[in-house]
Amino acid sequence: MIHYVLRRMFLLLFVLFSLSVLTFSLSFLFPGDPLNNLSGYQEITVNELAILEDKYKINSDYLTQYIAFLRRIFSGDLGISFNSQAPVFEQVNRIFPATVELAVYSLLVSIIIGIPLGIISAYYHRRLPDTVILTTTLVGYSLPVFWWALLIIFTFSLHFGWFPSSGRIGLVYEVPHISGFILLDILRSDIIYKYEALRNALMHMALPTLVLTTYPTTVLIRYTRGSMLNVLETNYIKTARAKGLSPFQVLLHHGLRNALLPVIRLIGLQFSSLITLAMITEVIFSWPGVGRWLIESIYQRDYPAIQGGLLAITTFVIIVTITSDILYKWFNPVSRTQVDGKF
Amino acid sequence: MASFKTYYDEQNLSPMRQLWVLFKQRHPARIGLYLFLILLILAILAPFISPYSPYTHDQTALLLPPAWSDDGNVEYMLGTDDLGRDILSRLMNGASLTFGLSIVSVLIAMAFGLVLGALAGLSRGVKSSMLNHVLDLALSIPSLLIAIIIVAVLGPGLANTVWAIVLSSLPRFVHTVRNAVHDELQKEYAIAYRLDGATTFQVLMHAILPNIFQSIIVVATMSVSNAILDIAALGFLRLGAQAPSAEWGAMVAESLDQLYSAPWTIALPGILIFLAVLSTNLVGDGLASALKRRLDK
Repeated sequence: MIHYVLRRMFLLLFVLFSLSVLTFSLSFLFPGDPLNNLSGYQEITVNELAILEDKYKINSDYLTQYIAFLRRIFSGDLGISFNSQAPVFEQVNRIFPATVELAVYSLLVSIIIGIPLGIISAYYHRRLPDTVILTTTLVGYSLPVFWWALLIIFTFSLHFGWFPSSGRIGLVYEVPHISGFILLDILRSDIIYKYEALRNALMHMALPTLVLTTYPTTVLIRYTRGSMLNVLETNYIKTARAKGLSPFQVLLHHGLRNALLPVIRLIGLQFSSLITLAMITEVIFSWPGVGRWLIESIYQRDYPAIQGGLLAITTFVIIVTITSDILYKWFNPVSRTQVDGKF
Repeated sequence: MASFKTYYDEQNLSPMRQLWVLFKQRHPARIGLYLFLILLILAILAPFISPYSPYTHDQTALLLPPAWSDDGNVEYMLGTDDLGRDILSRLMNGASLTFGLSIVSVLIAMAFGLVLGALAGLSRGVKSSMLNHVLDLALSIPSLLIAIIIVAVLGPGLANTVWAIVLSSLPRFVHTVRNAVHDELQKEYAIAYRLDGATTFQVLMHAILPNIFQSIIVVATMSVSNAILDIAALGFLRLGAQAPSAEWGAMVAESLDQLYSAPWTIALPGILIFLAVLSTNLVGDGLASALKRRLDK
């Protein structure tokens, strides 16, 4: 197991290294002067030029520049944005929790709905409930997320007027920014009308969460069903049935534990696709998260912001993926093969 | 289910034919295939059969609802958008862009994937293991994220979108081909062929490729459905196809202001994206299950 963890850590380092090289080279690939792209200062005066040239080692060879770049990343300096002239790192830090919050709630909802439905579907294999669930998931799986979001807005927001369609919280509430997770922030703050604010935030959250949760839920249902069916075919299940246990008991005591193991890994993997889908959802619902911010930076060709946003999102996705891989192997020794360091 | 056989007939069909026989037993898969073929024909013939040009403005017919509505006009079967362009023609031409281009980009990715995957499958040792881990990781990053990154670097546009889709679906092909080649190489028929004096290239082309082609087809179908969603999503985010283009996602983005006043301008392209993805998924699911049943036999 330690061998495996070490291998994964090495892989993580290798990928993060390639990622930093890629981000670094972006300043040279993007149109314009590399110094502008790296620092974010669009008009550099003569006085600043000397300071910046020294800071970014722009006249030295690429290796020295790259090392200077790494130093700056580790000290939390990603340059300033072309647009707002504010430090990119602080901006990313401030809005990243909004995206993570949305993704985490959607993931929780999809786990709560998806896993039981997958089990039900496997339990009634090839009977009516299974067919209904499978057909629904196929539809959910094929829905383009932006169109689905528009349909939901059209129905629940424009037509019935039940939920707000944009933003995170009503403008009348002023929630201090502590952790960036709005529900936590409201609960920890001592503003007046605390519970009204909480209710308002939840209302704002309902539609984006519903949209975002659709895809992972369908994937989870299908995956849980498949994994459950695989387990139900094994010999130890037949043995348990032969001992006289009812199908339900077998499912609960022998099936579930083994079937849910691969699902753990999928949940980790789903997180990365959630972050991506969240980018589209954020654009539609004007959710102030990192995805919307990144896409707006792409429109405005705000190169320092694009670099910072990409670095933040990809690093996050990769770390989550590798962590879930390690957790999966840890919980499930059977899946460790020779390649992974079991001899 | 064991079926009663009157005559003894030896089944010596090629792997692809066996797959087809099993595939067509499932009705949803067949319906999906018909829908897929209709869309494919539409994508090829759209410029010749669409009633109007997708870019012609008709100032006298702005925001006409579809023909079955009371205010509709049968000359514009599915209505017009806010610039008076015929939606039916735009949707037909959009088929070549969204649906056609996603198939083209997956085919390009498949060609590259076959070459790279075969090379990777033949290599072994640290290099191969490293490649495998990196591919694993690349696979776990959603294709849309990779596509957005690539578009962010190359700049918005439809051509860049196609390259982004090719690059983002490449890891999946390399991974599948690599693993399949690696597994087949250990099997006895491949060794026998090699003992007969075949070169590595001949083993690859004549022994391994026909046997792994079916799993590649399954991956390709899945990639097409991903590619459609990605192209449409990028078009919607205005990172892919740009404004006057009839790409379905871009059409939705262009009509966003009319979500309430003219919902059909958004509903129709969305339904087509959905149908395209659904039909591809049905075919993909059918192929995957047929493949599983063939291998289980």
